[in-house]
Amino acid sequence: MKKVISTIAAALLISGAASTALAQSRSGLRINEVMVSNQSSIVDDYGQKHAWIELFNSNFSPLEISSVFLTNDSTQPRLYPVPLGDVNTEIPKRQHVVFFADGEPNKGTFHTSFTLVPGQDNWIGIYDADGVTLIDEVTIPAELGPDQTWARTSDGFGEWAVRDGIGTGYITPSSANVIKDTNKKIENFAELDENGFGMTVMAMCIVFTALLVLCLSFYSIGKIGSAVSRMNKMRAHGVDKEEKATVKHDSGEEIAAIIMALHEHLNTHDAESTILTINKVKRAYSPWSSKIYGLREVPGSHRAK
Amino acid sequence: MSFGEFLLDNLTQFWQLTGFANAQFGNFVMLAVGLFFIWLAIKKNFEPMLLVPIGFGILIGNVPFNATAGLEIGIYEEGSVLNILYNGVSRGWYPPLIFLGIGAMTDFSALIANPKLMLIGAAAQFGIFGAYMVALAIGFAPDQAGAIAIIGGADGPTAIFLSSKLAPNLMGAIAVSAYSYMALVPVIQPPLMRLFTTKKERLIKMKPARAVSQNEKIIFPIVGMLLTCFVVPSGLPLLGMLFFGNLLRECGVTSRLAKTASNALTDIVTILLGMTVGASTQASQFLTPQTIFIFFLGFMAFVIASSSGVLFVKLFNLVLPKDKKINPLIGNAGVSAVPMSARISNNLGLEYDPSNYLLMHAMGPNVAGVIGSAVAAGVLLGFLA
Repeated sequence: MKKVISTIAAALLISGAASTALAQSRSGLRINEVMVSNQSSIVDDYGQKHAWIELFNSNFSPLEISSVFLTNDSTQPRLYPVPLGDVNTEIPKRQHVVFFADGEPNKGTFHTSFTLVPGQDNWIGIYDADGVTLIDEVTIPAELGPDQTWARTSDGFGEWAVRDGIGTGYITPSSANVIKDTNKKIENFAELDENGFGMTVMAMCIVFTALLVLCLSFYSIGKIGSAVSRMNKMRAHGVDKEEKATVKHDSGEEIAAIIMALHEHLNTHDAESTILTINKVKRAYSPWSSKIYGLREVPGSHRAK
Repeated sequence: MSFGEFLLDNLTQFWQLTGFANAQFGNFVMLAVGLFFIWLAIKKNFEPMLLVPIGFGILIGNVPFNATAGLEIGIYEEGSVLNILYNGVSRGWYPPLIFLGIGAMTDFSALIANPKLMLIGAAAQFGIFGAYMVALAIGFAPDQAGAIAIIGGADGPTAIFLSSKLAPNLMGAIAVSAYSYMALVPVIQPPLMRLFTTKKERLIKMKPARAVSQNEKIIFPIVGMLLTCFVVPSGLPLLGMLFFGNLLRECGVTSRLAKTASNALTDIVTILLGMTVGASTQASQFLTPQTIFIFFLGFMAFVIASSSGVLFVKLFNLVLPKDKKINPLIGNAGVSAVPMSARISNNLGLEYDPSNYLLMHAMGPNVAGVIGSAVAAGVLLGFLA
């Protein structure tokens, strides 16, 4: 009964962990940038300009989105299911895809069945394959002008802001909202820690802390272990607390001395009987070990006999 | 075209594909380096398990061929057999497998019995960051300096893992440098150990370590992994596998898995890792002024790491009670060249007192060095990646 319960518990745990892992990967899908009125931005495969919605995979692993729903109506979460069977619906890690909100889903995978209306608030939501779990949502303000986008300040996260293509407010369909031409971390180290002293101090402190914590833990565990084994030993010897001072650990030297004494006393190894006994070893026949099945019969050898 | 012309044309084309037609001076230099490594391994017995695969890999990687012919044979040509094998290095998944094997091979008893020896393993990591400062002074960028400095950890898999993340273009030189100096530990460390210790210190006899219970051995990899990885999650691939391998060894119910991890798996990965690292040192990529600097910095890192381990023990002894002093000859073992540096501590100890066996004491900082260098790599990765 115990076994059955533990098996069921393990199965539940595993399935729970698996569903959590799946949920984690799905929850990494983000609405990243939206253009409602497209006057001079990107065109679709048919050369036409439509409102577009950029999705971003914020995971560090590819994300298959073919079973999620896109919608602009919270009462109809299953408005546009991303079709199955298109290899392009797998978004590589930290990459983007653009959907055209043109209301013409028969034009292809990346054309939604709904449109966005300029001059009014537009709500967009992404629902998971169950049509119930909301993965991400955004409301695009009515004030958004032509050729302007409503975009996150940092890919996948951060605040939303209007972008108009001027200065640093660049519009970036299908690419990162923040264009990185250098690694900021390394730049900072190069600029602020020219001689590496800061890194050395920080890193050595961390290395020492990690090993010191480990050291202290095992110092404590060792102490507890010794105390427990001493208690067990006292219990085995029937010694009470008052007498505990007399119960000590056997040192390596003591054990070695006892073994030497026993060896001297018994002297079992050096006096051999010098009688050699050969017993026939019987082995049960098994076709798995039979060499006959592995050999090819050679006609010539029969003739020789 | 006559038949004769046809044959001549084909033979000319074939000649263009041969190594003779494509050979450059650099190829011969690298072939000589490969042969030198093999000679060191076979004749001098310097880390033969590493230097034979690396040396032969250098020979494989430096056979000249026509790179423009699209034969898909070079290690840097996508889809070639060597390139597929090299994936384990370039994507960094061989090193964690090696760490699994190291964990399954290592007995942490010495460390558990005397946990303060862990601090020696931490102190020796100063070699990494000392070399980092020197690398910055020479003019390397912080990420490249970090990748080069990890050579001071004296841990080939860690060096490969970190350089594949921080400076993939320098990985070949860093890996060869790390393994070369690991092989040269018996040459580099003893003079430093003699230099920084007095005769009196070399004669210090340490108390035999207490017996460690099975429960402690089982708890160690679990607590060790959790504590170190909570501090430095970026060290998870290396530390996770190291402690996992050790749990397989110590738990007593997975001896088959531990045996495979410590023998067959480690051997397979070592062969592939060594050979592909060697093959990645193609003359065109390897023979650059940067490589000379990397070898110089690697040497610096080793010297600083070994010295700082020894000096830390001397410093530590100032605060330790008289009967618990540590022999500074085990300080060099804080670098993670397991078990070579521990063996050197033992040999040097025996040289001055034939009854002073330091091996088991030196194994403590030695395995702490493995943990320390993996933590240091995690720190560098966290800061610079």
